[in-house]
Amino acid sequence: MTILLNRAALVDGIQDSTPQPRPLAGFGHLLRFMVRRDRLRAPVWIASIVGLIAVSAASVVGLYDTTAELQEYATLAQADAALKAFAGPGYGLDDPTLGAVVMNETLVYTFIVVALMCMFLLTRHTRAEEETDRAELVRAAVVGRQATLVAAVVWVAIVNVIVSIGLAVSLLAFGLSLTGTLAYSVAACGVGMVFIGVAAISAQVASSARAANAATGVVLGVCFLLRAVGDLGTGWVTWLSPLGWAQSIRAFADERWWVLIPIMFAAGGLTYGGVVLSAGRDLGAGFFEQRPGPVEASRRLSTPLAMAARLQRTSLVAWTTGLALLGFFFGIVADQAEQMLESEAIAEFFEQVGVGTPTELFLATTVLMLALTASGYTVSTVLRLRTEELAVRAEPVLATPVSRRTWMMSYLTVSVVGTIVVMVVSGLAVGLGSAAQLGEVDQVLPVLGAVLAMVPALLVLAAVAVALVGWRPKWAPFAWAGVVISAVSGLLAETLELPQWLRNISPFEHVPAMPAASFELLPTTILVLVAAGLTVAGLTAVNRRDIG
Amino acid sequence: MSTAISLRNVVKTFGPTRALDGLDLEIATGEVHGYLGPNGSGKSVTIRTLLGLLRHDSGEVQLLGGDPWRDAVALHSRLAYVPGDVSLWPNLSGGEIIDYFGRLRGDLDKDKRDDLIERFELDPRKKAGAYSKGNRQKVALVLALSSHAELLLLDEPTAGLDPLMETVFQECIHEVAREGRTVMLSSHILAEVEKLCDRVTIIRHGRTVQSGSLDDLRTTTRTAVTVSTDNPVDGLETTKGVHSVRTEGGTLRFEVEEAALGGVMNHLASFGIRSLVSQPPTLEELFLREYGDNLTVEQVE
Repeated sequence: MTILLNRAALVDGIQDSTPQPRPLAGFGHLLRFMVRRDRLRAPVWIASIVGLIAVSAASVVGLYDTTAELQEYATLAQADAALKAFAGPGYGLDDPTLGAVVMNETLVYTFIVVALMCMFLLTRHTRAEEETDRAELVRAAVVGRQATLVAAVVWVAIVNVIVSIGLAVSLLAFGLSLTGTLAYSVAACGVGMVFIGVAAISAQVASSARAANAATGVVLGVCFLLRAVGDLGTGWVTWLSPLGWAQSIRAFADERWWVLIPIMFAAGGLTYGGVVLSAGRDLGAGFFEQRPGPVEASRRLSTPLAMAARLQRTSLVAWTTGLALLGFFFGIVADQAEQMLESEAIAEFFEQVGVGTPTELFLATTVLMLALTASGYTVSTVLRLRTEELAVRAEPVLATPVSRRTWMMSYLTVSVVGTIVVMVVSGLAVGLGSAAQLGEVDQVLPVLGAVLAMVPALLVLAAVAVALVGWRPKWAPFAWAGVVISAVSGLLAETLELPQWLRNISPFEHVPAMPAASFELLPTTILVLVAAGLTVAGLTAVNRRDIG
Repeated sequence: MSTAISLRNVVKTFGPTRALDGLDLEIATGEVHGYLGPNGSGKSVTIRTLLGLLRHDSGEVQLLGGDPWRDAVALHSRLAYVPGDVSLWPNLSGGEIIDYFGRLRGDLDKDKRDDLIERFELDPRKKAGAYSKGNRQKVALVLALSSHAELLLLDEPTAGLDPLMETVFQECIHEVAREGRTVMLSSHILAEVEKLCDRVTIIRHGRTVQSGSLDDLRTTTRTAVTVSTDNPVDGLETTKGVHSVRTEGGTLRFEVEEAALGGVMNHLASFGIRSLVSQPPTLEELFLREYGDNLTVEQVE
């Protein structure tokens, strides 16, 4: 021991007599540790994103296999505001190639999922760690002030590059051109790098991991909207958004490589900003100081239900606002449904929804998409039960005269009521959007009926989560499988040619496609009964297990 | 005297681990009972079982005359709990959290709450996310001590408190005891247990190894004696109840069981005692004896 100490002192003495600040000390160890922690998570992200884009590309390749069909798509896309807003201005559609169509159909979605992956991973290793006591232990070791952030940036950047390579390989496998493929994956990689930078700054500025992700999410949403506005006509607005720059690389359509320059500057500048901010910040502190809270609790905060509502308040407002905006946008473009149906591909997509006028079918699809998105709120709110239990916050509550049933029902109630609020508000937004565009309010009530008809299917997903939390709490995250199965079955069933029995697993498969179809009592009743049965099972099982 | 808590031969397993392995525990109504054991010996598991959060595999558990698993909700209105690991909602203020629990228990006493907040020097406006470990502990103490519950289950309640706050805590427990309420105090701080507790139970590996009043425990253990005599002492090693005899520079040291103390003193007197020091065991020694590495050796003997 003495010898070791002396040797260390000797080495120090030779190098320098004054201690160095070494802001990056421990970088290598931290990086290896992050790789170890993500040994499952990172491959899942990579496989999911590459898989998702590969499936989408496969569906495009399958649908448009003749020049005539490509031309048909191009004509439609160039005329359609909705497609422009979601997919871009339609580069390369004057003389459409398969690559250009794949790019138009998938590139913006790729940007979003890649940005989300970078955001979640970066926050996980930085801000989220600081919320635990672990970060303190780590920082107390020989670890520099900026080492954690820099290691996280490097690690997420590596994952991001692997995703891009995966995308390139899968696009090449479909026989698309090398240059276009390169532009496509480099653009996606660039967006990832920019959002690593945004997340790095959010992690310094926000005072919690949730707030950091919310801030980055808002930036992503604004970037998406700016490029949507730009692509719809006000071209210069596109240039305010990094997503716009990346999209303007014109993959498969006469590539413009110079747009990589602003992307590189943005990614580098934002990341550098985050690293600089991290140097001057207290561990665990945000940029904004927390305001003090009230001395006493409000009179209402006296039941587990009131507490659950209070804790989920911000989340509910965020989901409602987001889905209302999405719904309003769908409402505005609903009148273009007639044109869209001229495309065989889109007609085929609508056929899986049901029979009706094009506008009705479009609205039914919109309602389905809103419901599938809202299921994220429904399930995550019920799963807060498990979060509370794992954080040992459930234990003191259950040590008061509060039964386990009451405790579980509190979050289930917030989930169900919140789901109804989200669906009704976003349904109204769809109706108002179409009313604003068409100048008539005919669609408001039918859409309202349609969103309410979706609620029983959402109840089933909530009840699955309740059953898992009650019966096998360790399996609780598998409640998300219900959401994934429903989404795949609802949106990709035709493309993937799923057998009917598989589609029937999704509760949404049994909801009538209102307003195209009319309301049906029997399936709705069955869904409600299934939800009730699973809930009772969960509430019974929770009384038989250990807490914690 | 009625019984507040009674566990008989209780077993609780987690997979292959036997967290409680035939545990016995008896706490009378109105006593302050110290519950001692090293880390991982099953103290928290015992308390969670008493709260009906964990279901024991076998044995009998009684709490305030009821079954803590079956009657959990009804029993919980008669007790207050301070968890070993205090975890609070980060974006709620300490004051809000105290009130919330007071209302869940149904006995929020505003005057008592304000008084305790002042005595523990807690800032109730601060968000829980900004509290230090000690301050989170204070929140848990205020919300438990402001209740009128007849039983307090405290799992290492002073972990993280400074000595001043520890004194405040001890005052509070004395007050609770004067009111005739029952306290189960799991702790590592032996001086605190010595000051506060009427009786203690010591557990190890999920089993009770000692239980009784502090005086009782002292008599079952040995007194350390250091003596110097005019003539060399012999025959001591073979005397019943005498252990660890050794000579160090003319003074003799040994340990003797309480029952043999009188006989040994008579025996020593015949050699001409010059000086004699005898020390009753402190709780610390009791504890170390139960947990020291030499325990297994002595058991073999």
